Amino acid sequence: MDFVARCRAGDVEAFETLYREHAARLYTLACRMAGSREDGEDLLQEIFLQAYRKLGSFKGDSSIGTWLYRLALNHCLDYVRSRRAKMNKLTETLDADTSFEPTARRDTPIARMDLERAVERLPEGCREAFVLHDVEGFDHKEVAGLLGIAEGTSKSQVFKARMKLRGFLRRQ
Amino acid sequence: MHPNEETLNAYADGSLPANEAAEIERHVASCVSCRQLVDDLREILRAAGDLDLQDPPARAWMRIERAIQLEQEGARAEGAREGARAVQAGERDLVSGHGHGPAAAGRYGRWLAAAAALVLATVVGLRYAPGRSQVAAPASQARDGAAQASAGDAAQSVENELRQAEAHYENAIKGLEQIANAEQNALDPRTAATLQKNLAVIDQAISESRAAIRSQPASEPAQQSLIENFKTKIALLQDTVALINEMRKGNEAGAARIVSGLKQKGN
Repeated sequence: MDFVARCRAGDVEAFETLYREHAARLYTLACRMAGSREDGEDLLQEIFLQAYRKLGSFKGDSSIGTWLYRLALNHCLDYVRSRRAKMNKLTETLDADTSFEPTARRDTPIARMDLERAVERLPEGCREAFVLHDVEGFDHKEVAGLLGIAEGTSKSQVFKARMKLRGFLRRQ
Repeated sequence: MHPNEETLNAYADGSLPANEAAEIERHVASCVSCRQLVDDLREILRAAGDLDLQDPPARAWMRIERAIQLEQEGARAEGAREGARAVQAGERDLVSGHGHGPAAAGRYGRWLAAAAALVLATVVGLRYAPGRSQVAAPASQARDGAAQASAGDAAQSVENELRQAEAHYENAIKGLEQIANAEQNALDPRTAATLQKNLAVIDQAISESRAAIRSQPASEPAQQSLIENFKTKIALLQDTVALINEMRKGNEAGAARIVSGLKQKGN
């Protein structure tokens, strides 16, 4: 029996192997999309539970990793969309703040952890667009499709995110 | 005249048409402030593409594994009740001196997993968020009743929900604490001390959140803070149980990763 078939048959050991191979990538995506490690961990659990339930629908048209990534991305997007309504008011307030404080020049390369923390601080909306475009490598048309926004909005959100990150990082 | 920031951003990421880019390039070569912005944006782009993957905490798989087992059993709620009984049974074994040695390995697995079930049935199942009760109510309920509900009823409903959430979290914490306390001697003294220190900080934060709710029962930030502190405590206890589990399995690398995470949280 092949590996995926063992997972489908309820072999938890095989499923753990699948988890070990892909958890870091999906956890990282979930944390960045959600903006916190706590929510990222909850999302990771939901993603793998959903994967376990849906393995029967995996046809093998793509690799299992691609299938899992797609499932994870959709789950993160659902989460983001459901949270967006609640956060709309706050986002508007934050988005209205377009002034970027002048700060001292930063001469050293950006440390990965500094950027990771700064991304967590980005407002809803521009964080997801930034993660999908600048970190995950989707183009603006794809980001627009994934987030249900116009392509121009994706561009402006990514711009906004970069400018906010610049402000955060130069203050450190 | 300086180009606007959006144009400089497009120049920095290479999305500006070639004829415009050439013009911006000439300007940037002679303008310090615009060059600084372009350099910063390019540095952000470079760093974003270079970000590392993060490993999930060790407890994450434990939670998933137990959730799958519950799925297989077909009834999550029933599974959680069995989990609670298993924890109590595990406790009795420990108190009576049973449950150690190689023959007990399976039993450890069961009652450690049972603790995860307790948490699963609460933290994941409940997903309490202040103010969510009205939003999350089924549409039919909303149509039938919400229109007539008074503000007082709504406040009472949120308070009831908070109380229920609190009870679930406390149950989960109790189950995990039983295991963590019973197995304290499995941890080296420095790790145990770090855990105790972190738990004391969280307990203090829980006390402060409770005090805030007592003085302002309807305060959403206070409610949120209490729930967040419960979640933090559960996460720490889950790490402790995962650490004990890794040590039982002889997985030194896994244990070291968890200890490192605990120390970082304590700093």
